[in-house]
Amino acid sequence: MNPEVPNPNRVLVIDDSESIHKLVIARLRPEGLEVIGEVDGERGIERAVADQPDLILLDIGLPNVDGFEVCRRLKEHPATRGIPVIFLTGTADTESKVRGLDLGAVDYVTKPFDQVELRARVRAALRAKRLQDILEQQSHLDGLTGLWNRRYLDQRLESELNVARRYGRPLSLVLVDVDHFKRVNDDYGHLFGDIVLQGIAEGLRAYARRSDIVARYGGEEFAILLTDTNLRSAMYVSERLRSSAESRHFEARTEVVNVTASFGVACTEDLAAELAPEALLKAADLALYASKDAGRNCVHLYRTGELILSTGNPLALGSSDGSENR
Amino acid sequence: MKEDRFFPSSVEVRPAMASIRSAYENDSDMLEIVREFANELPARIAKLESHLAAGEMRELQTLAHQLKGAGGGYGFPQITELAASLESALKQGMDEAAVKDRAHALCDTLRSVVVPGA
Repeated sequence: MNPEVPNPNRVLVIDDSESIHKLVIARLRPEGLEVIGEVDGERGIERAVADQPDLILLDIGLPNVDGFEVCRRLKEHPATRGIPVIFLTGTADTESKVRGLDLGAVDYVTKPFDQVELRARVRAALRAKRLQDILEQQSHLDGLTGLWNRRYLDQRLESELNVARRYGRPLSLVLVDVDHFKRVNDDYGHLFGDIVLQGIAEGLRAYARRSDIVARYGGEEFAILLTDTNLRSAMYVSERLRSSAESRHFEARTEVVNVTASFGVACTEDLAAELAPEALLKAADLALYASKDAGRNCVHLYRTGELILSTGNPLALGSSDGSENR
Repeated sequence: MKEDRFFPSSVEVRPAMASIRSAYENDSDMLEIVREFANELPARIAKLESHLAAGEMRELQTLAHQLKGAGGGYGFPQITELAASLESALKQGMDEAAVKDRAHALCDTLRSVVVPGA
C-alpha cells in the first residue's frame, strides 16, 4: 500500500434539531465537504467511532447526554480522541465556552451561526486536522524508502491478528532480505546501497496488492503483511515480488548491478502454535533462512513445522485445505 | 425583574404583522431548505400552542431553544430574537402572563413567514 494522506472532508453534526443539520449541510456542501448527522449524543459517539469523521460539530444543549459529556467521552475513546470538536452553542456565555475548550474542543460557534464564520472555522479546524494526520503518518514511515516502518508494522500485525482470530480469516506474513547486501555496500558504497534499498522498496510497493502492508523492517530487511490471504496466495505474491527484484537493474558508475532477494512466507492457518505476533514472525523468519540456505533468490513457505521451497507451482503445496499428506 | 428589550411584558395589543421573508431566499444553496423550514412552521406553531395550553413548560422551552438556534440561520433573525425572549422567560421562571405574551408574539411572527416561491 502506498501511504498517502487524503484531504480531511467528513464532518459529523451532533445536534437534536434536524433544521440545524440541513442548515449545516447546505452551508458546507459548497465547500466540498461531506456532512453526516446524528440527533442524539450516544448515537453520535457510535457514529464517530464507526465513520471516523475529520471534524465534529457538537451541540451543547443535547437532550439526555449533554454536549459536554459527549465531548468528554469522545476525548477519552482511543478511536475518536484525535477528531477535532467544534461546539455549537446557543448561549454565548463565557463559562460554557471555557468549559468546552477545557474539555478538548478546538473552537465554538454560536447559534444562529453566520455562514461565512462557520465555513472559516470549519476550514481552520480541517487544516489543523490535516497537519495532525500528516504528523501521525510521518511517525509511521521509513525515511529512506517511504514505506511503513517497523513500529507501524508491529502495530498492524497485532491488530490484524485480532481481526484474523475474530473472523477466522487467514493472515500471511512475508519477510524479505536483500541478498549479499553487505557486499553491495562494500563494493559500491553506502550511497549506492541506499539506492538499491529504495529500488527494491519501489518494486515491492509496485508489485504488492493494494491491501498489502509493505514495510521496511530494518537494515536490508522488509516485511509484508497480507490480510485475508492464505499461504498459497501469499506464495504467488511473493514469487511476483521475487522476480520483480531479480529483473531490476542498478547502474553503478561503470557497470550494471543485479540484486536479488530471499523470501520467507508464513500464514496463520499453517501455524501449529497459538496466533501470537512472535509465532508468525518466527515462522516467516525460519522460512527466510531456509531460502538463504538454499542459495538465495527464492521463496520458502513455513507449513506446520515444515519448510517448503516454492517453485511458483501450486502443486508443490498440495491441496488447499491442508488435509493432504505432505 | 428586568424588562425585555424586545418585548416588554406590558404590551398587550399586538399589531397585525407584515409578511416576513427569508434573507436567504435568493441564495440557491439555501432556497430548498428555507422552503422546507417555512412549510414546517404551521406544525411548529401547533406544537407551541398545545404545549402552552397544557402548561408543558419544559417542552415549550425546548421548542423555543431550537427555533432560536435555527431561525437566524434560515434568514429569519426575528424568529431567533423572539424565541430567545421566550426561552429566557421560561428559564427565569417568569409568570404565566409574560410567557404567554412572548409565545403569542413568536407564533404571530411564525405565521407571517412567507414560503418562498409559493
